[in-house]
Amino acid sequence: MTSTLDQVGLQHYLAVGAIMFAIGLIGFISRRNLILMFLCTELMFQGVVINLVAFGGFVGFFAGLAFTIFVVVLAGAVASLAVGLIVLLFRHKATLDADAWRELRG
Amino acid sequence: MSELWTVQHSYLIPLLPLIGAAIAGFFGARWLRGGSHWPIWLGVGASAVLSIVLLLQTVALLGQGSHAGTDPAHPPLGAANPSVSAPVKLFTWIAAGDPSKAGTNQYFVADAAFFFDPLTVTMLCVVCGIGFLICVFAAGYMRGEEGYWRFFAYLGLFIFMMCCLVMGDNLIMLYLGWEGVGLCSYLLIGYYYQKPSARDAAKKAFLVNRIGDFGFGVGIMLAFAAFGTVSYFGADGYGGTNGLLEAAAHPETLSEFQRQVLWWLPFLLMLGAFGKSAQFPLYVWLPDAMEGPTPVSALIHAATMVTAGVYMIARCGTLFVGNDAALMTVAFIGSFTALLAASIALRQFDLKKVFAYSTISQLGFMFVGVGVLAPVAGVFHLVTHAFFKALLFLSSGVVMHAMLGHLDMRQMSGLKAVLPKTRWLMLIGCLALAGVVPFAGFWSKDEIVAAAWHASPLLGAVMLLTALLTAYYTFRLYFRVFEGPRVVPDTPHPDHHGSHEHGDSSGGAGSGHGGHHSHEPAIMILPLVFLAIGSVIAGVVLWQGHRLGHFLGHSPSFVTAGELATATFNPKAADEHHLVNPLGFGLHDTRPAELQQAEQRSHYVFMLLSTVIALAGIAVAYTLHLRDRPKADRLALRLSGIARAIENKYWVDELYQASIVEPLRRLGQAFYAMDRFVVDGLVWLAGFIPQLGGFILKLTTQRGYLQGYALSMVLGVAVILFVVFL
Repeated sequence: MTSTLDQVGLQHYLAVGAIMFAIGLIGFISRRNLILMFLCTELMFQGVVINLVAFGGFVGFFAGLAFTIFVVVLAGAVASLAVGLIVLLFRHKATLDADAWRELRG
Repeated sequence: MSELWTVQHSYLIPLLPLIGAAIAGFFGARWLRGGSHWPIWLGVGASAVLSIVLLLQTVALLGQGSHAGTDPAHPPLGAANPSVSAPVKLFTWIAAGDPSKAGTNQYFVADAAFFFDPLTVTMLCVVCGIGFLICVFAAGYMRGEEGYWRFFAYLGLFIFMMCCLVMGDNLIMLYLGWEGVGLCSYLLIGYYYQKPSARDAAKKAFLVNRIGDFGFGVGIMLAFAAFGTVSYFGADGYGGTNGLLEAAAHPETLSEFQRQVLWWLPFLLMLGAFGKSAQFPLYVWLPDAMEGPTPVSALIHAATMVTAGVYMIARCGTLFVGNDAALMTVAFIGSFTALLAASIALRQFDLKKVFAYSTISQLGFMFVGVGVLAPVAGVFHLVTHAFFKALLFLSSGVVMHAMLGHLDMRQMSGLKAVLPKTRWLMLIGCLALAGVVPFAGFWSKDEIVAAAWHASPLLGAVMLLTALLTAYYTFRLYFRVFEGPRVVPDTPHPDHHGSHEHGDSSGGAGSGHGGHHSHEPAIMILPLVFLAIGSVIAGVVLWQGHRLGHFLGHSPSFVTAGELATATFNPKAADEHHLVNPLGFGLHDTRPAELQQAEQRSHYVFMLLSTVIALAGIAVAYTLHLRDRPKADRLALRLSGIARAIENKYWVDELYQASIVEPLRRLGQAFYAMDRFVVDGLVWLAGFIPQLGGFILKLTTQRGYLQGYALSMVLGVAVILFVVFL
């Protein structure tokens, strides 16, 4: 008998990854809350990582899996830094709105 | 000749001064300091000894040769003049092209090679021998100068370059030495580089020489293009047919193109000679070159470097003698320069300037010598002139040294009381320059005048007139400076380099009353004594029985040139008086005996005539500048127009300034403006446009909205993906 899971192919994984990436991207562009923007970048990270895992699993190319570990660890490091930065920014202006920092013109 | 040990070790002659120069240059500033002259003394001295040994050996070799002939009294032309020469190849310097096509203009080869013959040996003795005496003098003259080591390093380099020039076996070596001595001349004229006038003089000398060297360089290229070689006689020495001069000696074997080139070649080469030897259009640098220290004026600008042009024409005589127009140009320019410079020397007041114009004038004599088919006379005058002009310059150096830098003859008089030895030395030099029997200048000048008269009486007359002027200006200087009431300048000249003064003259007011302080240190007087001996005897010794002529006649250059001249001009001669005089090339005289005797007689008449002329010049100078000095001033006042023209050197410098230098400067300024505003403007514009674009983008898009940046990044990625994948 074939379980439902057996019918899940590479395309499905890629589609989930792409959707996650797209949601993250749209979120990043449309929201102005710093924390939300940061979460959206994490979402994009995971979308890409799903791609890597899917290719690694289906093609049998384990470098993709190893790479995923790196990305996840890196994302954790980035998260700690980014949240710290956001806390600092919040202390300055008492708001999480990215537009509050417009005069930096970065 | 190649069996002589001096020839086998001939590389030492240029190398030793070079090593000396390197030691003085690298170790002089820190360690040798006041002893910097030692490496140069040793190097140049050793070279001088080698040169003189080489000379004696060559003379001995020729002595053996003359007994070998069957009939030494009347041998045929060729056999009577067995040329003596030796090529010495050190290494191949430049080789380019296809070696299988050697001998054509597809394969260029220039060896670092020497060519020894009597001409080279004579020149080497002049360069190294007189050069050594001047180096000795310089140690006394330059004592305590700033940059003492630098001076001697340049001197050593100069001797090296001059040796390359006279020893080289091809035009490229000649050119190397030619440019090398030009460089040393530049460096030494500008020795006092803190003085703007010295810097300008150095630049002027270098630039004016460039004009001449341009012609010379083009000439070398043309010679290679036509004949496929730049070597005088080929790598195998004289005797083959693969050298430039050997090819030119047989005009009947040449192609049409080669004959055309042969016609133009002498004009290009003589342009170089006129630059280096300060002849008419290009003479203006030599008087200014007197900004250099006096030993430099003596060595470079009187005795050796400026005679390089004469050497070049004598060496390449074969290229010249087949060409009537070239010979005439050389003789004409030489005589014109001689007269012009002698007339300018009449009213110069600076001792060194007088001698500078005198040098130009005497070089003109040499050019007349080589131009009228008498290169022997030209080289003879070169040798004697080297002695007496070096003597005169160095004597005026002693005067300058004693007079705290003053050289203006209006400010000094009666120096015979202050400088008794120098007075006698200067007198000997002046007598030799004026051409009084039996001093050196008389014999050589007389030979040139006789040859000029033989070629064209007008030319001879110009030469005699110049001789008269020479005697006058020489003794004007002598009578003004050394005779008459004693007048001594007592304040140092503004240009005077205080260090000229010796440590023992600590009073400062040493000039004039110097009882304890010697103005004439032995180190400066001794070399002058040797030069004075040369100025007295060199003429008669070398003239006696055409000694120098017969010696030089064994040079392949003179043999080929003489034979070519005979073959070219004798068929055209109207009568036997117009036959080419083989003695002019040091060759055996084959003309009818009675003609020779008649010529001998006319030569004696000339000697008498030129003696009378010299004495007349001296007498005029005596009247005007010793017995009745106010009369000279009155005369100058009466002829103020002429006097002013002469004092201003006929405004030649001003003319050049207005007609050449100023237009060139304007052109340079135009080019500068072009570069500054058009070219630089375009470059600046190319940098400004992206800047402007960036500025506009910054104002319009960089507005601080994080989302905007993200959106444009996404769009950018989309565009890239679109471009890449579609």
